[in-house]
Amino acid sequence: MTDVVDLAPVQAGASRERSWLNHAAIFLGLMLLWEGSSHLGWLDPLFFPRPSDILVGFWRLYITQGNIWGHLGLTMAEVLAGFAAGSLLGIALALVVGMSDRIRRYMKPYVVVLEATPRIAIGPVIIAAFGFGWTSKVVIVMLVCFFAPFVNTLNGMVNADRDQLEMMRSMGASKWQVFCKLMLPDAMPEIMGGLRLAMASALGGALVAEFIASNAGMGLLINQYTGVLNMASAFVCVLTLTGLGFAIMWAMEAVDRRIVFWNDRESTAEVSKRLALAWAHRNGDLA
Amino acid sequence: MTPRIDFLSFAGRGVALTKHLAVFAALMALWEFAARFGLVDTILLPPPRQIAQGLIQLYIENREIYWHFWVTFLEALGGFLIGGGLGLILAVGSAQSPSFRRYVAPYAIALNVTPGLALTPIIIAWFGFGMSSKVALGAIVCFFPVFVNTLIGLTRTDEDTLEMFRSLGASRWQTFLKLQVPEALPITFAGCKIAITTALVGAVVAEFSQGTAGIGILMQRFAFALDMSSAIAALLSMSLLGLILFYLIEILDDLIVFWRRDRRMEAVGRRRQARWEAGLSKSRD
Amino acid sequence: MAEAILDTSREARAGSSRPAAVIRARGLSKTFGGGRIVALKEADFEVRRGEFISLVGPSGCGKSTLLRIVAGLLDHSGGTLELHGSPVTGPRNDVAMMFQKPTLLPWRTAVENVLLPAEIAGKVGPAERKRALDLLGMTGLREFAFSFPSQLSGGMQQRVALARLLQTGADLLMLDEPFGALDEFTREHLNVELARITQEVGATVLFVTHNIGEAIFLADRVFVMTPRPGQIAKIIDVPLPRPRDPSIQVTPEFNALVAQVRSTLGGH
Repeated sequence: MTDVVDLAPVQAGASRERSWLNHAAIFLGLMLLWEGSSHLGWLDPLFFPRPSDILVGFWRLYITQGNIWGHLGLTMAEVLAGFAAGSLLGIALALVVGMSDRIRRYMKPYVVVLEATPRIAIGPVIIAAFGFGWTSKVVIVMLVCFFAPFVNTLNGMVNADRDQLEMMRSMGASKWQVFCKLMLPDAMPEIMGGLRLAMASALGGALVAEFIASNAGMGLLINQYTGVLNMASAFVCVLTLTGLGFAIMWAMEAVDRRIVFWNDRESTAEVSKRLALAWAHRNGDLA
Repeated sequence: MTPRIDFLSFAGRGVALTKHLAVFAALMALWEFAARFGLVDTILLPPPRQIAQGLIQLYIENREIYWHFWVTFLEALGGFLIGGGLGLILAVGSAQSPSFRRYVAPYAIALNVTPGLALTPIIIAWFGFGMSSKVALGAIVCFFPVFVNTLIGLTRTDEDTLEMFRSLGASRWQTFLKLQVPEALPITFAGCKIAITTALVGAVVAEFSQGTAGIGILMQRFAFALDMSSAIAALLSMSLLGLILFYLIEILDDLIVFWRRDRRMEAVGRRRQARWEAGLSKSRD
Repeated sequence: MAEAILDTSREARAGSSRPAAVIRARGLSKTFGGGRIVALKEADFEVRRGEFISLVGPSGCGKSTLLRIVAGLLDHSGGTLELHGSPVTGPRNDVAMMFQKPTLLPWRTAVENVLLPAEIAGKVGPAERKRALDLLGMTGLREFAFSFPSQLSGGMQQRVALARLLQTGADLLMLDEPFGALDEFTREHLNVELARITQEVGATVLFVTHNIGEAIFLADRVFVMTPRPGQIAKIIDVPLPRPRDPSIQVTPEFNALVAQVRSTLGGH
């Protein structure tokens, strides 16, 4: 679980602008150092592309040649399809298994072994079985995205609060009601955590699948470019993936905040306001 | 001093073990039957008997797997030590200086959101065909878990205990060594467990792309030759490797973070008592 | 042994037979946020050697703030504060503090926790080790010297914290609601122990609590504090003889004192 740390403590007002300037200055400084070392011959431009070359590469791949868009789209499709299928399967299976203590106990050794195995290692086997096409990539991403949501959802269900369970049962709640109104929302933070882990591995999974054997996709592009030592273009691809990674991270954080709103103070306040308004509307006392 | 053997827990664990073995045997039998009756494609998913044959061939007849095992093990361990070591150092630096943390943070986050495995071809282009590219990739992918976990551990020290240290007049270094480091150890170890299994992933993926030795490339060769039983046998070997690496860290964790486990606590307490009393009686003489 | 626990050399050098003021505060005040929040408004008081002072009042009355200022953990905004005749500028080795949370280090045994102040001061020899064990004996925990905090109850952990407090050798002890998290029975028992131990070693104590009965039971004088702004509203003498048994809490004298404190607190 590597997402709950304040890596960059926020500062107020003027000092925040100053820190942005510092960030920019440091970045620019590093880029100039890189560019300079390359021109001075300290860094071989063949292996370490100059920032200027990378910028040119961006222009070329995105605009003049425009070839990156197709590959990006394909990889994204593989990622989304595999993520959706894999995590849904993982969550569903965990919800079923989680209801029975006995099944969970017997599954434990297999889960432990699976946890230690690099899930992505099954890649070549899948490709040998399903061929070079789109299907094998999606299956690989599915397998990669299955595990974390499965394990996390299982954990979330196991750690249900005893007192709360007793409270619901004392109110005469049926098993289904307990599941929907208590266990599911209670397990939500864990489920979301599992989904975020899955998302983090999904992109990597798709790329590795493409490295092993593929006709298209970002993985193929990177492979091809490094193959002819066109490092600048390869870097452009990697940086694109970094950008993609950022976008995915922010998207997942936003979803997390909306669904598990009770953990975050701001979200809680927002939802509380919205609910108050909705209730007032329903009961007709909105002055 | 002979360790006390708790016979009751031994028996209890024995019963649990037999139950697990029974379940395992039942699953294997089910699989075997399914294959026999054509419910499962035996080319893609060979029945347990064939996989067992594959395992025997790998480990007993052919025996080349031992070398491949060792190669991948070294790659993963090397990647973990380098990436984890770097993560530790940068985390300690970031914990001590908030401005260092602020300016390192964006690059650490960028490294984290980039699928590290995407860098595989680039790493191979830089480091060549040997083991170093596998170690490098392993190091890159396992840097972040160790870094962020150690950082969390070092910065989330209990406020009241910090104040207590301040009231005793402790220096910054003393507070770091006597309080922050021990308190961060459990979280750091959790990060190391994640990191070492991730380092294995990095090593294996690098082998897929360009390798001559290692379990990863072995498995890939079998798979592409459609020798599925050997491929799955190799895959199981990879699981074994992952378990070994994981338990390496687990054992260290158990040894060092003793205060989270009752039995270890008692043992350590008794040992310290013995040492104290020996020391005191010596000073009395 | 009791006298050796505290560093009383300072007082001996002063050469006076009458107990002198070890804490002297004049117009002591503390504000936050550039003067906007007045946590403590102009406290004037003196504490003599060996006195047990209780600070009692509702939240926001500044009692914890005052304690931290005397302990040197918080700077004061105005006025003067002297301990043993010298002004307070930060934590010092003649004053030590105990908190509501035991703050024991979970990876150390009880006796190693008690030894922590000596370690930080850089002086750990057989004498310090023996003293740590003796202090644990004084708080009744000698058999648990090599147990870990997680193996001890809350009350026992606070007793270890108390032993650690005494290990510092400070003669001015600041206690911030040390038994607040414990149940009533444990608390009462520990209060009796605390009174006995501090009397035995001759320490000067400032004890913060929001429990009026506890405050009176333990103290020679009670500083009654009120909030908005935080200040010492009244100082009440507690002339009850020592040693005190918990049964005095039902006597009319005791309840008269409780009534005095309550009326001072008024509507706060």
